[in-house]
Amino acid sequence: MTIQTLDRAPITRPKSATPWRRNSATKRISIVLAGTLPLVITIFTAQYFLLPGATALLTVFIPLQLVASALAAIKVGGRRGIPDAILTVVVLSLVSLVVIVLGSVLFNLARKGSHAISRQFLFYNSTYVTSSTSLDYGGVAHAVIGTFLIVGLAAVVTIPLGIGTGVFLTETRSRMRGPVRFISQAMSGLPSIVSGLFIFSFFAVAGFSVRGGWLGSLALLLLMLPTIARLSEEVLKLVPQDLRAAAMALGAPRNRAFFQVIFPAARSGMITAVLLGLARIVGETAPLLMTTVPTNGTNYNPFSGQISTLPTFIYKWIGAGSDFSVQRAWGAALVLMILVGTIFVLARIFGKQKF
Amino acid sequence: MTLDNSLAPEAGNTVAQFQSDGDAHLETRNLHVWFGERHVINDVSLVFPENSVTALIGPSGCGKSTFIRTLNRMHELIPYAGLAGEVLFKGQNIYSSGVDPVDVRLSIGMVFQKPNPFPTMTIRGNVLSGLRLSGTRSRNEDRLVEESLQRASLWNEVKDRLQSPAGSLSGGQQQRLCIARSLALSPDVLLMDEPCSALDPGSTIRIEETIRQISKNMTIVIVTHNMQQAQRVSDQTAFFLAEDNNPGYVVEFGSTPQIFTTPQDRRTEDYVSGRFG
Repeated sequence: MTIQTLDRAPITRPKSATPWRRNSATKRISIVLAGTLPLVITIFTAQYFLLPGATALLTVFIPLQLVASALAAIKVGGRRGIPDAILTVVVLSLVSLVVIVLGSVLFNLARKGSHAISRQFLFYNSTYVTSSTSLDYGGVAHAVIGTFLIVGLAAVVTIPLGIGTGVFLTETRSRMRGPVRFISQAMSGLPSIVSGLFIFSFFAVAGFSVRGGWLGSLALLLLMLPTIARLSEEVLKLVPQDLRAAAMALGAPRNRAFFQVIFPAARSGMITAVLLGLARIVGETAPLLMTTVPTNGTNYNPFSGQISTLPTFIYKWIGAGSDFSVQRAWGAALVLMILVGTIFVLARIFGKQKF
Repeated sequence: MTLDNSLAPEAGNTVAQFQSDGDAHLETRNLHVWFGERHVINDVSLVFPENSVTALIGPSGCGKSTFIRTLNRMHELIPYAGLAGEVLFKGQNIYSSGVDPVDVRLSIGMVFQKPNPFPTMTIRGNVLSGLRLSGTRSRNEDRLVEESLQRASLWNEVKDRLQSPAGSLSGGQQQRLCIARSLALSPDVLLMDEPCSALDPGSTIRIEETIRQISKNMTIVIVTHNMQQAQRVSDQTAFFLAEDNNPGYVVEFGSTPQIFTTPQDRRTEDYVSGRFG
């Protein structure tokens, strides 16, 4: 019998410690060829036959790429590699399609909007601005403030309501859950202009003030509520029953079990639910056109007077007919996008799970 | 109360054979359980004397876990659950109308099959979670944390990282943390539903040591599939069985040595000797 004496000190990792990644030269060449040849062939055929881009993509590139990757897959991984390769191609093409579309939207927005952006554009309102006023005068500050007020007012009311609905749907055994779920589902398909029209006509019939910032908030509430309710329900459903049982077994009343165990476990998902709810309404134009009267001046009070928001600002100037006003609208669109992006990033940072 | 006992097997006789020496701390009388219309536990009457360890054994699906959940009113959290009979704790029926289930669960703690520490809390937070969740206060939380973890024989492994997340512990450590969490409320009874079934032998032994230690001043009911474990830790054993889709019932209930060495019922003998189940 031999006793092995082992050197127990750790050894440094060798340069190549991933034997599963070793590919021979021919395999590498076939992968590179499969990745480039279809594109090259597509470009040449498109040039020769004068095919439009989309046609070339659909009729030449995608079939060619699928065949090429299948061939490369046989070379690299044998027959079993074919489905993998095809799936990879399909997924990658769909992803790049989305990235291209999204990227071009953002790029266009940044390109066209950046002309208007300046210090004064961000911090001044548009009093005395007409469609022929140059970009050196006036700004979007009043619309930014209006957006914050109207969306903020809607959010302050809707977030507790929506989360409350989600909690009702997951944490209780009420018989009303079915109807509530059905209604919130149906509400999420509500066209935004109908929501605006409903609020407008409801208050007109009731003899109230017909238009105002808070009516805009109400119209947005109808759109935001089902999103937050449904998403928070889904998020709460993901919290394991084990945790609920553990909390109950420790003698927790339901409210403490919810606030100390279930909600913390669902926190990051809840933040997503709220963000998606905000995203749903922050750019809504139609309900605000029905319920608010845009103005060029600053209004800090959503409960009285005319009030502008970024979407209605964009709507107003994009149709005003001069180059300046169109650029103004693009600038406002860029501001809106940056605001939304900032809010989302901040919410993610502050809402980060401790562990 | 009129109950249809026609389904009840001859087990009634064997139950009566066991006379406990201590006072009945926890006791079930003619307990029946339903899920919807399905009758799952049939006429179980068991006595758990103070500071005793009782093992519940039997094949899967015979109602052991369901039974143990009726002992601290966790059973009623399942939709369509139904129950008849009595569960007496210190002489009072815990299902009578004036009793708050929260009080019951504070006196009768529970440890589950799968370790379920709260993932959003630290190790220390988990031990104190029972206090926070039930709204009780402790004068010296640090001491309570140390004592509870020591009784669950986890203190030495975690004393330097009480602020780490509970999820960073191994499975066995997590289960001992769950035990410490229950012990922090100093319950009179601890119910354990297969506490070692997901654990390695080393952790199992630590938990059995813990059980022996805490049973000096705590009544313990433990469900287990491990015959050796039942023999090692328990004073008395109840053998549950559900035959041919009939509801589960107690075939035999007696002191652990008696159940394992001289069982009265043929089926008990077959089960404890490993011939079925």
